Amino acid sequence: MSWRRLALAALCAAALAPAGPSAAQGWPARPVRIVAPYAAGGPIDVSARLLAGRLQESLGQPVLVENRPGAGGNLGVDFVAKSVPDGHTLVIGAVATHAINPTLTGVPYDPVRDFRHVALMVQVPNVLVVNLELPVTSVAELVALARARPGKLDFASGSTGSTGHLAGELFKQMTGTFMVHIPYKGAAPAVLDLLAGRVHLMFDNLASALPNIRAGKVRALAVTTKRRSSFLPELPTLDESGLTGFDMTTWWGVMAPAKTPQPVVDRLAAEIRAALEAPEVRERLRAMGSEPPAIRTPEEFTAFVAAEGRIYAELVRRSGAKPD
Amino acid sequence: MEIFNNLLLGFSVALSPFNILMCLIGVLLGTLIGVLPGVGPVATIAMLLPITFNLNPIGALIMLAGIYYGAQYGGSTTAILVNLPGESSSVVTCLDGYQMARRGRAGPALATAALVSFFAGCVATLIVAMFAPPLAEVALKFGPAEYFSLMVLGLVAAVVLAHGSLVKAIAMVILGLLLGLVGTDVNSGVLRFAFGISELADGIGFVVVAMGMFGIAEIVANLEHTGQREVFTKKVTHLWPTKEDFRRMIPAALRGTFLGSALGILPGGGALLASFGAYTLEKKVSKYAHEFGKGAIEGVAAPESANNAGAQTSFIPLLTLGIPSNAVMALMIGAMMIQGIAPGPQVMNDRPQLFWGMIASMWVGNLMLVILNLPLIGMWIKLLTVPYRLLYPSILLFMGIGVFSLSNNPFDVLIMAFFGLLGYICVKLECEPAPMILGFILGPLMEENLRRAMLLSRGDPLVFFQKPISAAFLIVAIILLAIIAAPNIRRKREEAFAAEEAR
Repeated sequence: MSWRRLALAALCAAALAPAGPSAAQGWPARPVRIVAPYAAGGPIDVSARLLAGRLQESLGQPVLVENRPGAGGNLGVDFVAKSVPDGHTLVIGAVATHAINPTLTGVPYDPVRDFRHVALMVQVPNVLVVNLELPVTSVAELVALARARPGKLDFASGSTGSTGHLAGELFKQMTGTFMVHIPYKGAAPAVLDLLAGRVHLMFDNLASALPNIRAGKVRALAVTTKRRSSFLPELPTLDESGLTGFDMTTWWGVMAPAKTPQPVVDRLAAEIRAALEAPEVRERLRAMGSEPPAIRTPEEFTAFVAAEGRIYAELVRRSGAKPD
Repeated sequence: MEIFNNLLLGFSVALSPFNILMCLIGVLLGTLIGVLPGVGPVATIAMLLPITFNLNPIGALIMLAGIYYGAQYGGSTTAILVNLPGESSSVVTCLDGYQMARRGRAGPALATAALVSFFAGCVATLIVAMFAPPLAEVALKFGPAEYFSLMVLGLVAAVVLAHGSLVKAIAMVILGLLLGLVGTDVNSGVLRFAFGISELADGIGFVVVAMGMFGIAEIVANLEHTGQREVFTKKVTHLWPTKEDFRRMIPAALRGTFLGSALGILPGGGALLASFGAYTLEKKVSKYAHEFGKGAIEGVAAPESANNAGAQTSFIPLLTLGIPSNAVMALMIGAMMIQGIAPGPQVMNDRPQLFWGMIASMWVGNLMLVILNLPLIGMWIKLLTVPYRLLYPSILLFMGIGVFSLSNNPFDVLIMAFFGLLGYICVKLECEPAPMILGFILGPLMEENLRRAMLLSRGDPLVFFQKPISAAFLIVAIILLAIIAAPNIRRKREEAFAAEEAR
């Protein structure tokens, strides 16, 4: 823990700065706001509000969720990156804003260095689902079909550069097949066309795919995570279906501006962990398809963000998803 | 009769005291935010979501649904009284509703809006109850090709919306289409016409454009009448529609309800077309066509019934397929997920109480809205007696707050001001904003579906004629276009308008 002492020492030095010391005792002095960089009502917004309700009790200050949508989440995230780093302004950073967009669209912030990555909240697998009329029941059969009919299969996704799209691109790379990507504005219209059989398959988010899988309206072939999902324990992973190393999730978590004091980050991380472990919150997050993430400390989260950034940078470049 | 058992179950749920209370809270809140310009149901429902965590799922969803259709009612009030459409659906209500108000008939206009909405709500509730599962199959029949052709038809019909110069109407539609192109291209992810402003990456918001083009432009234009503003209130003779009004509104409401119910089923933008479509249809079939745009009661009855019917039937794709047809429906899905309910095909079988309870509550909520709104008309009319120098600054203030709250970004307020200026210029040039707004709404949807259909067909444009539904829409569009473009008809059209001007 010596480096933590070092951080404390640095903090004492920073006490001379006009901003003054903001040790954890003085925090939170005002209402805390969590910026959700997406529109109200989506899973990221809903989970932020869920968390805010719990934090409000444990921190003793109002915790407000503020939606700042725009530019694929980049606007809200950039706003927080440039906010006062005193622990009163936080943001929900996601796989899009912190791993994909930096390569896909370019962003005005550094996803690793401009933030303290406080706590990973949610990790949801994608599921490879196919229309019922497609004559395949396993990943191997799908690969065989795609090889036999190159360029004839369509896969839908919620948007260009989404995890659903990039999972498809990775699938194509690893299996040496060619399928056409059909982008939609959001997952819902894509699911509609999948149900109607206008597109053949989709790497859909587990939460949105689950009802249709359970109702037998689509056929699930595999999950995109390395471990099987407890929601569909019989369903194999892509990794065990021959695509060794395939591991993709949609994730998001709480982040703070880079210079947020260490004690504040520590306290916040502890409170968020406690909130996420509360049975009531856990149950509601589970309803969104999320299982408790294995990553538990801010340090692990930072390493995870950096690693994801490298993986997606490579994937985006190789897939041709990046606009020229 | 299974349907009656189902409805009975629904009403037994919806009429429990707690659920009635939830419904009342929902419609009250909805009316309030509908009346406040710019504050929409999306922001309100999002703020209320955490409260619903601790409610039982049925009560929570009944309240949220109440906010949604309550806002539709409230939105028409501001559209009629001050020419401010808060929702895309009330843009058309502005056209004749506001003109009615200017002629001292704000009372009948508001009463018409409330009554036809209730009527449409009743019919649509019955449709949802009786035909939800088979109608969900209809929604599945609409793919990119069908949507594209439907939008083409809508756009051709947009020209009919204008009652002035045909050339100007087409120019405004095209301006709307161009504005709709701003933002990120769906297929490639390239930013278009954003000039490096990242706030424009998701395009220009509808509310921002509508507030500016209608609201601000109207206020600025009124500043020209120094001192004496058009005081509609002095001419108010009665609040209630006359017998003649009822005779004229009934067929319009029937047609509007039918068209709105049909379009509401389509999740990919069908409900957006409902009020526009109903207005256009009415203008074509009504024998009072010459009164449209000058305060025709059909011009209020048709779009109001259509948008309310569409709002109800858009619950069909939500409840049966789990597909949301607009941002509010997406929020409802969020609310259901939070409650551990996965919206989708099993809801109706696994949770009949929820499904039928919600449907029954829609009818209850519509009844409440009528009972609430009819006595309020007198109060709304009084609002018009508030002096100009007080009323308009406060409207501007509320618009600023509302638009800011869309994404907590001051940039949106600036954009609204810009469109206010553009709107004023259009008033001066006698170009009408309604066709532009329709082009603006339909343009992006049309482009998206065109390119998706072409991707799926691997670049074969014949796909639009090979699919029967799509081909039918295109043929109707071509016929309509021929009618509009035929020179002799156009001359007649101009003569008709000249005659009107002379009158």
